[in-house]
Amino acid sequence: MKNNFWPALGFLSPALLVILVTIVFPFGYAFFLSFHKWNLKYRDTPFVGFKNYSRILGSETFWEIVGTTAVFCVLSVFLIMTIGYLIALLLNEEFWGRGMLRALLLVPWAIPEVVNGILWKWLLDPSFGILNRILMKIGLIEEYHSWLNSMPSAMFSVIVAYVWTHVPLAALIILAGLQSISKEVKEAALVDGAGIFDRLILITTPLLRPVLVVVLMFETIFALKVFDIIYVLTGGGPGRATTVLGWQIYSRTFTNLAFGRGSALAMLLGLLTLIVAVLYFKYLNKEED
Amino acid sequence: MGITYQIFGMRPDKLFNRLLVYGGSVVVLFYILGPFLWLVSSSFQPEQNLLDRDGSLFPTEWDFTAYRELLTGFLYDASSGIPYQARIFLRSMLNSLIVAGGVAVLSILIGSVAAYPLARMKFKGRNFLMFFILGTRLIPAIALAVPFYLMVKAVGMNDRLETLIVINLSFILPYVIWLLQAYYRSIPMELEEAARIDGCSRLGTLFRIILPLSLPGMVSTGILAFLLSWGDFFFALILTQSQSSFTSTVVASMFATDVDVKYVSIICAGVLSVIPPVSFALIFQRYIMSGLLSGAAKG
Repeated sequence: MKNNFWPALGFLSPALLVILVTIVFPFGYAFFLSFHKWNLKYRDTPFVGFKNYSRILGSETFWEIVGTTAVFCVLSVFLIMTIGYLIALLLNEEFWGRGMLRALLLVPWAIPEVVNGILWKWLLDPSFGILNRILMKIGLIEEYHSWLNSMPSAMFSVIVAYVWTHVPLAALIILAGLQSISKEVKEAALVDGAGIFDRLILITTPLLRPVLVVVLMFETIFALKVFDIIYVLTGGGPGRATTVLGWQIYSRTFTNLAFGRGSALAMLLGLLTLIVAVLYFKYLNKEED
Repeated sequence: MGITYQIFGMRPDKLFNRLLVYGGSVVVLFYILGPFLWLVSSSFQPEQNLLDRDGSLFPTEWDFTAYRELLTGFLYDASSGIPYQARIFLRSMLNSLIVAGGVAVLSILIGSVAAYPLARMKFKGRNFLMFFILGTRLIPAIALAVPFYLMVKAVGMNDRLETLIVINLSFILPYVIWLLQAYYRSIPMELEEAARIDGCSRLGTLFRIILPLSLPGMVSTGILAFLLSWGDFFFALILTQSQSSFTSTVVASMFATDVDVKYVSIICAGVLSVIPPVSFALIFQRYIMSGLLSGAAKG
């Protein structure tokens, strides 16, 4: 057992070196910066202890942004899970064209979020977008609407665009889960003579819970650090309406050049992510007991 | 036996199920392809048609000027009137290809060796290392933005493709290691034991037994690595300053946020920049599915 340690480390060393240099060291550096007043505009970089943190936690703006991030996370993760589950249930049935439909799910998945932004910006365009044209034609709106420049439609648009690229992965993973339990479900249903909806709520969903929780965890962590789509679609606006944590850290750091404060904010986002992960893991472990 | 009613030769519940399934697939097909196909269809329209609210929804005349501008833009200079984004567009695609290809190759080279002890050797601290490697995925990229920026500046490596490769590598490597160790575990232990008895070293078994048998797993992991780093925007945004290292996502964002560029150019840039990842994903869909799903099932 013991003499395996050094050979194993030998195999792992190139990977560990990369991870140490490009993740662990920078992370430590960011941690260090977060306790300093560090602004590229000034030469002095004094140690300030927890001042960056206390300033952030004491500001109303911060809590407003946390609220915006929470709204974005809850709504988008809810939609991703619901639509993903429905698509997975559909693909679990046998029908003509199933393989094709499953393959086509990779189209939205493979589109980079920035380009996804271009796509939705065009669909939602205030003067020439298809959404305005259709809604006008069927009489739901009386004049063209500027979806990305007003609330609450700006938030909702960002969510719809974000959900579109994230649904496929969730659907595919849930589908894999469904296929691994399909035998048990069929057997249980035969015994009970249960209908489609009873089967879904009473048998399938409880059996699928571990897979659903894992997807939920990953999607929550992804949604917490959303950035690309905000950059392209709204730039955090109108006002601060779509300013989520990821966007705030970027604009604080790279437009105000406040590296100390930006790092402290980033540490708080990291902490939030960690809390989410720990909570889900705890829940999963409790399930297994 | 009760009476069973039949409609179109099917029992009513069966018919209901089929209606639900085919109705559902049409809705899903429309949802996943509709938005993208609309972008493609718009890209062939001349600008004035796009700006005509009462005009036809679908192309009535085909126009490829915007595509031509993007694909030949690199031949012109600023005096041509072609926007800057269009002139550097092709270059940025090439940059993305180099970065994503570099990341895919390097992550497989380093990851396939690193995954071996995690899958096959018992040693002190193995669980800790597994958790540590996967745990680095929890750190938001944005938390490392400032240190990366300062470090890269300090060593004079900003605005370089090599830098983008190394930094994307660090974020993709944990994922690659995780997928490959799961794949190695599916290879029967007996094969390896036989080789060991025949006097093969650890390194020898890795290269002669495990790696050749894991080729499908390595291909699918490499494709995932390629697609993930193709989609990276954040690191490219903060670490590139000129066309020598702008990637396609950065140039796409320059199109999207510039109000002076024609609609049709933005749309065409969007379509062209997803041709590599989308066609890649569809061609290798079997590999991608197995990669995505083995990670999910084991993780």
